[in-house]
Amino acid sequence: MVSVRNLVKLENIQKSFNQNKVLKGVSLEIAESEVISIIGGNGAGKSTLMKILTGVYKADDGTIEINSEKIHQYNPRLAHEKGIYLVPQEPLLFPNMTVEQNLTIGFNKDKSDVKEQSKNLIEELGWDIDLNRLANSLTIAEQQQLEIIKGLLREAKVLILDEPTSALTFSETKSLFTVIEKLKSSGVGIFYITHRLDEVFQISTHAVILRDGKVTLKGKIEKFTKEMLIKGLLPEGNENRYKDKFEKKLVNRENEEPILKVENISGDGFRNISFDVFKGEVVGLGGLVGAGRTEIAEAIYGINQVSSGKVYLNGDDITKLGINETIESGLSYIPEDRFLHGIFSISSIRNNITAQIIKRQGFFLKKKFEKKVTNEYVERLSILLSNQEDEIKSLSGGNQQKAVIARILSTNPQLIIMDEPTRGIDAAARSDIYSIITELKEQGYSILLISSDLEEIERISDRIFGIYRGVCNAFLGLNEINATNVMKVAFGTYEGSETYVEN
Amino acid sequence: MSKIKSITAKREFRTFLFLIVLFVVVGIVNTDFLSINNIANSLKSSLLYIVLAVGMTFVLLTGNIDISVGGVLGLSAAVSGMILRDGGSFLVAIAVAILIGAVIGLINGLGVTKLKISSFIMTLGMLEITRVVQVIYTDGQWVENLPIEFKQLSQLSFMGMNVLSIIVVVSVILVHLYLSRSRRGRYFAAIGDNEDGAVLLGIPVERYKTLSFVISSVCASLAGLIFATQIGFISTTAGVGIEMTVIAAAVLGGVSLSGGVGSVIGAGIGAIIMISINSALVYMKVPAYWNDAISGSLLIIIVVSDALIARNASKQAKKERLNTRVLQEEVRESYAK
Repeated sequence: MVSVRNLVKLENIQKSFNQNKVLKGVSLEIAESEVISIIGGNGAGKSTLMKILTGVYKADDGTIEINSEKIHQYNPRLAHEKGIYLVPQEPLLFPNMTVEQNLTIGFNKDKSDVKEQSKNLIEELGWDIDLNRLANSLTIAEQQQLEIIKGLLREAKVLILDEPTSALTFSETKSLFTVIEKLKSSGVGIFYITHRLDEVFQISTHAVILRDGKVTLKGKIEKFTKEMLIKGLLPEGNENRYKDKFEKKLVNRENEEPILKVENISGDGFRNISFDVFKGEVVGLGGLVGAGRTEIAEAIYGINQVSSGKVYLNGDDITKLGINETIESGLSYIPEDRFLHGIFSISSIRNNITAQIIKRQGFFLKKKFEKKVTNEYVERLSILLSNQEDEIKSLSGGNQQKAVIARILSTNPQLIIMDEPTRGIDAAARSDIYSIITELKEQGYSILLISSDLEEIERISDRIFGIYRGVCNAFLGLNEINATNVMKVAFGTYEGSETYVEN
Repeated sequence: MSKIKSITAKREFRTFLFLIVLFVVVGIVNTDFLSINNIANSLKSSLLYIVLAVGMTFVLLTGNIDISVGGVLGLSAAVSGMILRDGGSFLVAIAVAILIGAVIGLINGLGVTKLKISSFIMTLGMLEITRVVQVIYTDGQWVENLPIEFKQLSQLSFMGMNVLSIIVVVSVILVHLYLSRSRRGRYFAAIGDNEDGAVLLGIPVERYKTLSFVISSVCASLAGLIFATQIGFISTTAGVGIEMTVIAAAVLGGVSLSGGVGSVIGAGIGAIIMISINSALVYMKVPAYWNDAISGSLLIIIVVSDALIARNASKQAKKERLNTRVLQEEVRESYAK
């Protein structure tokens, strides 16, 4: 083998945000003509690592070598100079400028030179982009192509593609792969971040798996199978590692009518989704961020419209109902982003808890009644607070979420959709929320749990439906729920999944 | 190619077309309106609005707004007017006016970029402050008796054309070329278009935002000088309410309030329209108080249609993005092979 030039070498990179250690000593190197796939679950540290590589973040510890030369005082400008270019997942173009203006802006070169170069590049790559079009008229794929051209114009030696295919159609993906092949043979090193295991085997020369801020698996792609990659993604010794278990039991529901029945709904971001939720159970919707689960929840709740299919609650068709009527019929939703949609952050805790129930009272508010309701739920959910009148944002994340649950319970729903209920909540409070969810289940509430935290969904769901790229492709019964299967479901490789392929 | 070119030019073109239609329609009702004399007069009385609109465009392009222009206009006109009245030289008066504009603009810009005050609030406060400073500085008196030579500046003509008009029109074209053709001129629009993207490209975003406020205030000072030479005296209410007319003119000329889009030529034509509507109403014998209502409705129609188009586009984009994520049949087939 001819000796290949090493482009970038990262050694023992560490990075924490506040107390949270995101990268715990990652070492990685890339040489000419290598395509390294970086795989990892949500929050594994992939984007942090890439931001360090492009100089956006500063590493707490560790060294960066570019072209065998140690780099100090790293920043984005230097990264560009050294030929490291990131093609972000959501392209950062100037929508009101033409393609040509987008290419030439911020360049210290003659504009006609840049134009000439871009024309040559576009021709070489076999793309068809009119330089005079406005950037906001481009499709996502074209915007991405534009970003890649921007990188190549800067004579990038190392290209980082952050989930480039997440917004591409199949044929667009194919043409992207051709380009990657071309770049590879011209000596460019490529970091390819993805969730799609099929693609890893299609285009990469090496694979790296990142979990919990550490590299758990690294090597030539020929040495791996899909099974091995999935295994690398899983926490070690994954069975029975929790202190507290949450009770689940198998119930025969053959003769029972489901509380929620979703029949073949399609809409923006999802297609042909069917599942059901029975009384007193927790049903998990598993999958990765961006798989389309929030869109499904919003469609059921009535925020978005479905284009086809039906949603039944207790046998009543609620497909076309607005949000207000949906709540009245007994369905509640705890949204994904607590700060944006979940709480009224500068209102008092009491006002937050009673925000939905006061509608059912008379025209004037009854303070006594509000106090009574608040007291009841504060006790029932053991919300830690010093005064009901305090602003809710003074509470910890876990207690805020409990207050949200209290508000939802006050409307007396039959089914609660919880979207990422423990995001940004510390471990102890998480357990609390899990106990609350389990208790609610025993009291006869039904819960549809959406979570990207694979551990969470594994621990508290009675049944799991897997959502992968907008389709429902897998079902796990109580006995099939374990970390491996949940991981497989999220990456679309569970046996019985429609996308499953033998390797 | 040519089709695309016309789309990019659409906003200014639309404004220009509107101006032509305005003149033709009013001209049909009253042919005097189309006389060279009246057209030249319309341009002349729009001059100070054009200058203000050019400055405002810089600020709007970066996604901010400058409400303080009326106050800056009044203050610098009053201060340099007093210098002139007391026998000071033209050059000193002009330099002082520009200095006042630059300082106020700098304060506005630093308040917005360093203290992170919203530009609306920052410049609204500055508007009130400059008004009061003007009253204190002039003792609440009008500044009158400006030297006759200064007043004549606005009347100078060259080959039958008003010199001031020529200067303004040529400047607008030069500024337009700077903003659309030069490397750094494009930064203003880039900042309003996608601020994060601008930061990533290494554009000094804060510096250019501050600069836009300085430019706007200096333009307001220059407009104050034009005001002084054209009117000949400066009242304590000089330029009151002018900021609304100027913002309306810029928006009418295709400058987006959310930043990133627009040209100074469009804004200039917008200013001419706003002023022409005034005189058009006179020619059509419509009572003058209709003026504000008509320009107000025009503004709403334009802003609303712009917002609707933008909202539809972003909805469409979101939909497209979500749908491309969904696993397609063709993919599945290929994986099955």
